[in-house]
Parts: sequence; structure tokens; C-alpha cells
Amino acid sequence: MEATFKERFSLLQWMQRRLFASWFDSAATIVLGFLMVWVVWQSLDWAVFRAIWSLEDRDLCTVDAGACWAVIEDRGRLILFGLYPYEEQWRSTLACLIIVLTIVLSCLPVFWSARRLILLWVIGFGLFVILMRGGIAGLSLVTSEKWGGLSLTIFIFSGVFLIGMPLAVLLALGRRSSLPVIAKVTGLFIDFFRSLPLLAILFSAAVVIPLVVPEWLHGNKLMRVVFAFSLFFAAYQAEIIRAGFQSTSQGQEEAAIALGMPYWSVLLDILLPQAFRNTLPSTINQAVITFKETSIVTVIGFFEIMASGNAAIGTGEWGQQFVEVYVFVALVYFVFVFSLSRYGAWLETHMRVGHG
Amino acid sequence: MGNLAIAIHSLNKYYDDHHALKDIDLTIGIGETVVICGPSGSGKSTLIRCVNGLEQFSDGELVVLDTPVDDDTRNLNAIRKRVGMVFQNFNLFPHLTVLENCVLPQIRAAGKTRENAIIEAETQLSNMHIAEHLNKYPDQISGGQQQRVALARALCLKPEIMLFDEPTSALDPEMIAEVLEVMQELANQNMTIMCVTHEMGFARKVADSIVLMADGRIVERGEPEQIFNSPRNQITREFIKAIST
Repeated sequence: MEATFKERFSLLQWMQRRLFASWFDSAATIVLGFLMVWVVWQSLDWAVFRAIWSLEDRDLCTVDAGACWAVIEDRGRLILFGLYPYEEQWRSTLACLIIVLTIVLSCLPVFWSARRLILLWVIGFGLFVILMRGGIAGLSLVTSEKWGGLSLTIFIFSGVFLIGMPLAVLLALGRRSSLPVIAKVTGLFIDFFRSLPLLAILFSAAVVIPLVVPEWLHGNKLMRVVFAFSLFFAAYQAEIIRAGFQSTSQGQEEAAIALGMPYWSVLLDILLPQAFRNTLPSTINQAVITFKETSIVTVIGFFEIMASGNAAIGTGEWGQQFVEVYVFVALVYFVFVFSLSRYGAWLETHMRVGHG
Repeated sequence: MGNLAIAIHSLNKYYDDHHALKDIDLTIGIGETVVICGPSGSGKSTLIRCVNGLEQFSDGELVVLDTPVDDDTRNLNAIRKRVGMVFQNFNLFPHLTVLENCVLPQIRAAGKTRENAIIEAETQLSNMHIAEHLNKYPDQISGGQQQRVALARALCLKPEIMLFDEPTSALDPEMIAEVLEVMQELANQNMTIMCVTHEMGFARKVADSIVLMADGRIVERGEPEQIFNSPRNQITREFIKAIST
């Protein structure tokens, strides 16, 4: 009894000190407090209390009603899968789950070696492509023009990560090379891709490359775009890794050299892991930015989740429900990005960042 | 030259305009313990770092275990496999456990199997009295323990020469003794030791000879008793006087 009284007392004290210290503080607290409650109430009222949930009640979706979530029931599959054939959408789902599993697995310390990570991602990504594309093992062929929605977003993101990350490591190593030619060329490469807007790079990959490059080198449009995106990602990530190298003490390299370790091992076993650890917050940041930037591919005609969301409301039938659809798409983004940031925060506390 | 571990002849080192090492002549016999001391900035660390090629010298001759230190990286690699080094700041790998710090270099530098490397690491670490910390990370143990791990890590590779670059300078006073103790054990086992240190008690007790450097030159070399009791050189006299008060 006493303890609770004390707690309540200290809460009152805290409120008095922090919220009601002067007449101005009190006024601000009251006004802002009301505003906050009002906003939360309005949102809940719209999103939950007055919402229409079922497709059967869709006629009730009027301007007065709250959120019309029926649109998600009706168009959810279009948003998540784009134009992917209806009967085959389980493949798209499974493919996404495989990538999510791959991401989760690569978060486990057991897999934290260059060889295992690369193996894991090649297998995970390979399975993803096989499932999505089909054409073998009795799966019908679904070409990448028909990929869409969430699975396309995930494909672009993981493809960019898979190609971009090793490339970033190579670029960072190149830039700190003792051979001036290599250092200059990689430096120029990085600066070049950093000085161009992502949109311009993607446009060039999608539209310009086919005009200037021989036909057999074209690949398909999606591959070109993913590859171009990877170059952009690698240019930024390379600078992050380079900063990681610089923050690793000179003594580490000297100790490893003095022990007679070959230079590749000094790099891979000693310097690179520390560079990654030291720059983990920036790397997670870059991953988050990349995930969100995948929505840019909309403008060159890919139906990633943002575009398929637009398609879902573009037919007129659900034209009034654009807010609901955007909220739903935002939620999907939020789930992925928030998990990524939480994972980053977890890593920082568990990976001894900032030590040694 | 057969029983010389390190032979240095007319060695010079310049940093741009600064003449860091001036005409160094120094030989260290196999099994000998040589302590290098002198005021800071006298070039002691630069000299010891030339021995395994962490620092390049400008001219002169440096031969380690009959292999010349020169532009040929194969020679340098061969020397580094036979010469261990312990640093002032320990330089343990912070992302690896104590055991892994000792195991990885054996696999990478000596091509040992993991099993053998672990056995060797455990032996060396228990010789250093830190067998109970195998699975800790460097920042979870004290400075004195870290330095002993660093020594064990070097010894796992069975070096014929050990270089110590101010091994106790970064340690709290109460931990200096525990590191000097294991270094003395090593000297008693006839390891060839080249050691830069300010620990004059250690030098007096353990060293076969003491080399005094000042301003990039070797000013005097002699047995501990002679250096401490009847230094010939004026700089030596001042240095001994300064550190004994």
C-alpha cells in the first residue's frame, strides 16, 4: 500500500515538475493533451469503430462511414501480388517467406562468415527466383514482367543487397588500395554513381542501355534495373565500409601482419568484420533507405507494391478508398522497415559495437 | 653469423627531413635477452618495428635469422613466421574470443588444423595462467590479462625471436608485475628477446645486455651491472639518474 502511494506521489511530483511548472506549461500541456487525445480518437474512430470490414457490407462504404477495409479484402491480392497469375500466387507467397527466412537466418551469429552468408543468400535467392519464375520442376513459367506487388519489392531489395554488398566491399577495398590506379578508378566510380540521382540511373538502365549496348547484353529489363540499383547502393555502402576501415585501429592490421597472417586473411578475418561492426548503424540505415527507395521503380513501369496499390484504386470502383489502400501499403512497409531497425538495435547491443 | 638472431648494420631511417635512426649497429645472439631503453623519441620503437618490417628503413642492412629484411616480400613473410611481437596496446582482435584470438592466426599463418590449433592455444593460455578466460572477449578481461593473451597468441606460432614494444606501458601499475613475470619465464627458457621498455627493474634482473638509445643513436650497450653502476656515456648517466629517482 505504502509503495503504491509513494509511486503515485512521485508520479504527481514528476507531472508537476515537468508538465505544470508554470501557467504557460500548464496551458501547453492541456492544449496539446487535448489535441493528442482528439487525433488518436479520430484515427481509432475512423480505422476501427466506424470501419467497414467485410466485402458483403461494401454498400455501406459511404463518405460518412469510417475506413472501408473491404477494399483490402477485394484488392489485397492485387496489392500483394500484382499481375502474378491468381492460381500461382502461393509461389509468390512462399518465395517471399523464403527471403524473409533468409534474412532472419543471416541475422544468426552462426552464419556470420563470408562463406556461409554468401552460400545462404545464393540458395535463398536462387529458390526465390526458381519459385517466382518457374519453367522447371513442373512449375509454369511466369516471366518477370508479370511479377508484382510485395514479392517484386522484396525481389528488388534482396537482389540489390545481394549484388550490391559484395560489390561495396570490393569498392571499399579498391579505394584504400596502395596502387594509385585502382584507388583512383574506384574513387571515380563511387563518386560518379553518388553524384547521379537514382532515378536517372534506373532510367538509363531501363531505357538507354538497350539503345547503346548490343542485343545479347541486354538481359531483361528487371535484371538491368536491379543491377543498376546495385551499383548505386554499392557506391554508398562502399563509403560506409571505408569509414569502418578507417575507424579500425592501425594496430589491428599491424598485429595481424606481425603474426604472419596472409593479407587476404587480415582483410577478411580481422579488418572487414570490425569495419562492419563499427558501421552497423549506418549499414542498417542504408538498408532501410534502399527498401523504401524500391518504390521508385514504379516510374519505369514495374508493379512493385506501391504501384500495385495505385492499380487497386485506379479502376474507379474503389476510387474513393485510396486512403485505406495507402494506409495498408504503409503498414506493409512499416512492418519490414521497423523489423529491420529493431534488428539493427538488437545487433548493436549484442555485437559489442563500440568496444575495443 | 651462424648464431646471431638479429644483425643490424649501419641502419638509417628518415621520415622526410627527420633522421629517426642514425647508423644503428646492433647484434643480438640466439637466446639473448636485450632490453632497449632511452628517453621517448629516441627511436627505440622505430628500431624494433624495423625488425619484422612493420617499419621500413631507408638504408643499411638488417638480417633476421640469416634472412635479410628487404623489398622481397617472401623474405619478410618468412621472417614474420619466425618472429613474434607484443605491442603496447595489446592489439587483440576485439571481435574474437580469447581462444579464437590464439587459434585463428595458427590456422591462417601456419596452416594448422583447427583441432591442433585449439590444443596449442589452450596450452599456451594455461602457461599464461588465463585458461579460465578462454571464451571471454578481450574487453571483458583486464589489461594485464589481455597482454598475456597477446603473448600467448604470439607464442602459439612457435617464434624463435620475441619482440616486445613497451609491453607494460599501457598497463595499470598493479598489472605490470604479472606481465613482467611471464616475460621473465620466457627469458629463462632461452627465448631470444628484444624488448623496448622503461621497466629498469626488469632490465636489471632479466636482460643479458641493455642498449641505451638517444636521439636516434645507440649511445651505449653493456651488461646491466655495468650500465647501472658505471655508465660510460654522459647521456646514460643522466638517463639512469633520471629514472632511478
